Amino acid sequence: MITRVGHAPRRLRRVFASVALAATLAASAASAQQIWRPGDPARGAALAATCAGCHGAHGAAPIPGAPALASQQPEFLKLQLVLMREGLRDVPAMTGTLKGLTDRDLVDIATYYAAARPFRSPPARDPALYARGETLSGAMGCNSCHMGDYSGQRQVPRLVNQREDYLAGALRAYRDDRRSGTDTSMNAVMYKAADSDIAAIAHYLAQRTEGTADAHSTKASPGVVLR
Amino acid sequence: MSGKWMAALARSMLPVALASAFGILAGVAGAQTPTKPPTPKEIEARRAMGGYFPERMTNPNLTANPPHLIATPLDQIPLDRIRVPEGFKVEVWAHGIPGGRMMARAPGGTVFVGTRTIGRVYAVYEQNGQRVSKVVAEKLVQPNGVLVQNGSLYIAAINRVFRYDNIEANLENIPTPVDMTEAFKLPPEVHHNWKFLAFGPDGKIYFQVGAPCNACEINPGVHGQIRRYNLDGSGMEIVARGVRNTVGFDFHPKTGELWFTDNGRDWAGENGFEDELNRLPANMIGANFGFPYCHANGQPDPDVRVPNPCANTILPVATLGAHTAALGMRFYTGKMFPADYQNSIMIARRGSWNRTERAGYDVVRVTTTPDGRNARVTPFMTGFLDTAKNAYYGRPVDVLQLPDGSLLVADEQNGAIYRVSYSR
Repeated sequence: MITRVGHAPRRLRRVFASVALAATLAASAASAQQIWRPGDPARGAALAATCAGCHGAHGAAPIPGAPALASQQPEFLKLQLVLMREGLRDVPAMTGTLKGLTDRDLVDIATYYAAARPFRSPPARDPALYARGETLSGAMGCNSCHMGDYSGQRQVPRLVNQREDYLAGALRAYRDDRRSGTDTSMNAVMYKAADSDIAAIAHYLAQRTEGTADAHSTKASPGVVLR
Repeated sequence: MSGKWMAALARSMLPVALASAFGILAGVAGAQTPTKPPTPKEIEARRAMGGYFPERMTNPNLTANPPHLIATPLDQIPLDRIRVPEGFKVEVWAHGIPGGRMMARAPGGTVFVGTRTIGRVYAVYEQNGQRVSKVVAEKLVQPNGVLVQNGSLYIAAINRVFRYDNIEANLENIPTPVDMTEAFKLPPEVHHNWKFLAFGPDGKIYFQVGAPCNACEINPGVHGQIRRYNLDGSGMEIVARGVRNTVGFDFHPKTGELWFTDNGRDWAGENGFEDELNRLPANMIGANFGFPYCHANGQPDPDVRVPNPCANTILPVATLGAHTAALGMRFYTGKMFPADYQNSIMIARRGSWNRTERAGYDVVRVTTTPDGRNARVTPFMTGFLDTAKNAYYGRPVDVLQLPDGSLLVADEQNGAIYRVSYSR
């Protein structure tokens, strides 16, 4: 079970035991699901009735500034709902709504929205802005956590199938330290990003065709390797 | 409340952020041209800054694990997976405390439990013959550090310190705490600064100020330290330097010397660098333990480079595996476990994130002489990690001995505390 525990010689130089790097993407993707336990989507749908006013029927996001929830990563939804309920992520419109909801309620709501049909922005691609956003997303390594097709994983949200204005606002909030995730990686990534760059990234992600890995996908572009 | 700590966070992430933003700043911000690969000069500049290298972050499997933040129902706590040596028994001692991490016990038997992301501190205690839990503090930024001394509960949340006097008599109506923040004057950086608190045999309160980055040049007068203070926050003294991120320490039952775990840096490959168990010799107060130049058993940092990186560095008593996240540790001094457990060090390893093949997720036992020779690391509590599936089911973060000699183990993932007991 424990493979790398043993005698620890008190030497200055130590030779590492070689370890086979056997984990495949598929195996890891399977393990990524281990802790998330889906809730009851029907119960979640009933609880989510009050959410529709801002987030739309089935999370399809009719209102500027309110994110699309449909097809979002359920673990991301659950964790953000907990943080907002606890007052640790300060969203005034959400604080009252979430008051008194139990952990089970939040899991059920997350399960319901995760299974809803993806939101799609109306097609309005600006080719130059889109290309710039694509370049920036690759250069900033967005897909190293958000996956090659930007569908997200676990606590890392899906970025496609989202409103452009919401994406831009969220990125500005990370840059300006008005928001953080369950850890602080996004604040570091967005540090000093220009408004124009944020606009390009948001446009690219909102207009991107879902389900395809781009030219900057993690396998295709190892980038500069130091050492 | 978020604005203030976020600003602190931004400062703490500066070296990290500079490095990660470099590609944008260098390649795009000044002009409307596509991002170009970094030039050799830019790569050198990144190296000098240390930290976080986006070009190494090309594997989605190396993304941080999410916190759980909700309570695991009792029937889903993975008790049947847990393995301990023969004669030992594990039971669920407390549950329903999401994110529960570091533990401190008050004389009346109440165990206080700190957290990180969920911002709460819990009390676990007996009421009408039932073990119950309640939130005693909330909406704090990473209140990981808890300590009970002279009947008072101390909570440390990054740079804020609170004292709740006569806490056990006031569990039903938690009083407003004494705010000790000004007295301790701790730096505000969040990263690696979720505190661990301990009370030393010298009557001082000990805690760490970690490095606010993965690997970077730090101000050694401020960061990468273990400090001690008088209980009122006066008399600060740096007792250890070059400590990257320790989240567990204790004092040797015979010598009174400080021993501590330390987490090795990330983004340096599957096997770099191992976590450490360190000992601070009594006559070397203020000694250096290597960060950022020297890791594990004397390995130079590949990015933050100086000549003779391991000069004047105390090397570890034992290394504890790369990325295993060796956190809470205590010496075992109880009478319940077999005699050879006396003065063994029990260490919770929370388990890896920056590694494709998961490691840790267990409690190990270290036996060694009082001066740190002949260290031997053996598994003690395992089964949270399924190596065949590369999947984990629990994350041990701290250990705490009860007066009867049994051992509590906090599982952050499941919001539960286990009790490990022994009978022949």
